Amino acid sequence: MSETSAEQVASTEALVAERKPRRLKFRIFRYNPQDPNSEPRMQEYRLEETPFMTLFIALNRLREEQEADLQFDFACRSAVCGSCGMLVNGRPTLACKTLTSDLPRVIHLHPLPSFQLVGDLSVDTGSWFRGMSERVQAWVHERAPFDPEAQEERMDDELAQAIYESDRCIECGCCVAACGVAATNDEFVAPAGMNRIARFMMDPRDGRGRRDWFDVISSDEGVFGCIGLMACQDVCPKELPLLEVYAYLRRKALGGWFLGGK
Amino acid sequence: MREATRVIDRMRTDPPPRGSRITAPDGRKQVLYEVLASGSGAVLAVFMWGHMFFVASILLGTRTFDTIAQWMEHVYVAQPTVFIVLALFVLHAVLAGRKVPAQLRERKRAFALASDLKQSTRRWTGGDALTRPHAESWIWIWQVRSALLIGILGSFHILLMGLDIFSDLFGRMEGIEAVSSMARTRAGLVWLYLPLLIAVEFHASVGLLRLAVKWGPGNRLSRRTLWRIEHVIFWSFIGLGLLVLVVLAGWIDPPLAFLTGDGP
Ligand code: HEM
Ligand code: SF4
Ligand code: SF4
Ligand code: FES
Repeated sequence: MSETSAEQVASTEALVAERKPRRLKFRIFRYNPQDPNSEPRMQEYRLEETPFMTLFIALNRLREEQEADLQFDFACRSAVCGSCGMLVNGRPTLACKTLTSDLPRVIHLHPLPSFQLVGDLSVDTGSWFRGMSERVQAWVHERAPFDPEAQEERMDDELAQAIYESDRCIECGCCVAACGVAATNDEFVAPAGMNRIARFMMDPRDGRGRRDWFDVISSDEGVFGCIGLMACQDVCPKELPLLEVYAYLRRKALGGWFLGGK
Repeated sequence: MREATRVIDRMRTDPPPRGSRITAPDGRKQVLYEVLASGSGAVLAVFMWGHMFFVASILLGTRTFDTIAQWMEHVYVAQPTVFIVLALFVLHAVLAGRKVPAQLRERKRAFALASDLKQSTRRWTGGDALTRPHAESWIWIWQVRSALLIGILGSFHILLMGLDIFSDLFGRMEGIEAVSSMARTRAGLVWLYLPLLIAVEFHASVGLLRLAVKWGPGNRLSRRTLWRIEHVIFWSFIGLGLLVLVVLAGWIDPPLAFLTGDGP
């Protein structure tokens, strides 16, 4: 078994090595809002493709070899930190997990829309997520004063899994950038925000009642802003089940409406 | 550089909202609007199916068509239906229409996003863009376009039907009858009904799919299955609708008339 896979790897590598490397053409959005002389423009760069090259490798080589002041963000380079979201040939995704071999020879890179531009490909997702967390109060509201002596309450395994699933969001902002509503309405909590709401709504340790949540979700800034375009789920690099989350929130809003009260 | 200015146009200019908790002072009203927007759409879609089966009676011959039309007017189903459908039509247009961005600048952004996402399937050669392609945002733009078409052609059609049912302006008597329906279809209305048919079937089948996804039941099925169901619904009604139109326009005789022994 391991023998065959080793063979397979060897033959794939041989194939890759045999092919003449492509000369990639990058068209990268350049603009530094801090610099009064800077003008928004698209700039072209050429780079020879290497086997298993990711955009992380490509951009770093460009910065090292051709354009020292090119701005972009990376930290983990393994789809964990969420800092490298950008538009790759029109699709919001993580640059670090994007292989150049999945792209044609010409690669267009734009910053994620719907966020504030820091410069070139770098956008400020941090402030957006911070603001969103404050707006939905994304922390556990204690029901009773914390008792360090008491045994921790038990949680259903399935529920714990569902909360964990929501918590897998790495705050990359790809879903926000892909959402047509977030693009047109700055106040909309957007996909990642709705996911965050659902995460705390599900949590039995959170003291907020039906009434409190109803006020958060039942508006066009909340879940009714969503028109079911489904882009968020289709681009989420962590493949979160976002549509299920919204349907859950909608049903909760409907329930809150019927039941009223607390 | 058009491309670069377009990128800039799509960036957020104001800092994101901070601190202020989102709370909906009129949450109860908002749910009501949402339920009415979705509900009126769903009811209209189901009505359109029923409507299709009734007009399809023309396939069985003009006499069958007239019998059904007269019966519906006789028991007073047709008359209130005109008003109810007109009311739902207006309600739906107002409530669902609220979701369309009001400003041109906003519409341009949504448009750029949708077209980028759709085209990315062709601008990638592998990976996510091919395994998880995304066209639904683009389809929403066509949902709005089809809505516009329905708004214009549909109002005209409903008005005409109202006049026909309540007056003797058309045909030999008050009410709908095959002879006058066929005459006006042949006289040119067929070219109005054809785009209306396509727009309605598209708008309704996609709308129902979106409803299923938004409220939950659709998420138990894969996206592919959902679209397959949508396609079956869409093409079935397009097929039936085209056949009905061709008969109404008098281009072919009612193909099933032999079943009722009805003449053309
Ligand atoms: C003046 C005519 C119409 C206009 C302006 C209009 C507009 C719209 C718009 C903008 C949406 C998207 C709303 C959203 O995504 O939240 C929508 C959804 C929908 N429409 Fe229409 N529409 C019209 C007529 C119709 C008709 C005649 C039918 C039935 C055949 C219909 C069935 C639906 C359905 C089922 C939905 C999905 C409901 C939802 O997503 O909430 N519409 N409509
Ligand atoms: S499903 Fe809703 S939140 Fe997701 S992209 Fe579409 S409109 Fe935005
Ligand atoms: S939900 Fe997905 S796309 Fe959105 S921020 Fe979280 S990880 Fe990124
Ligand atoms: S660098 Fe961390 S997610 Fe890409």
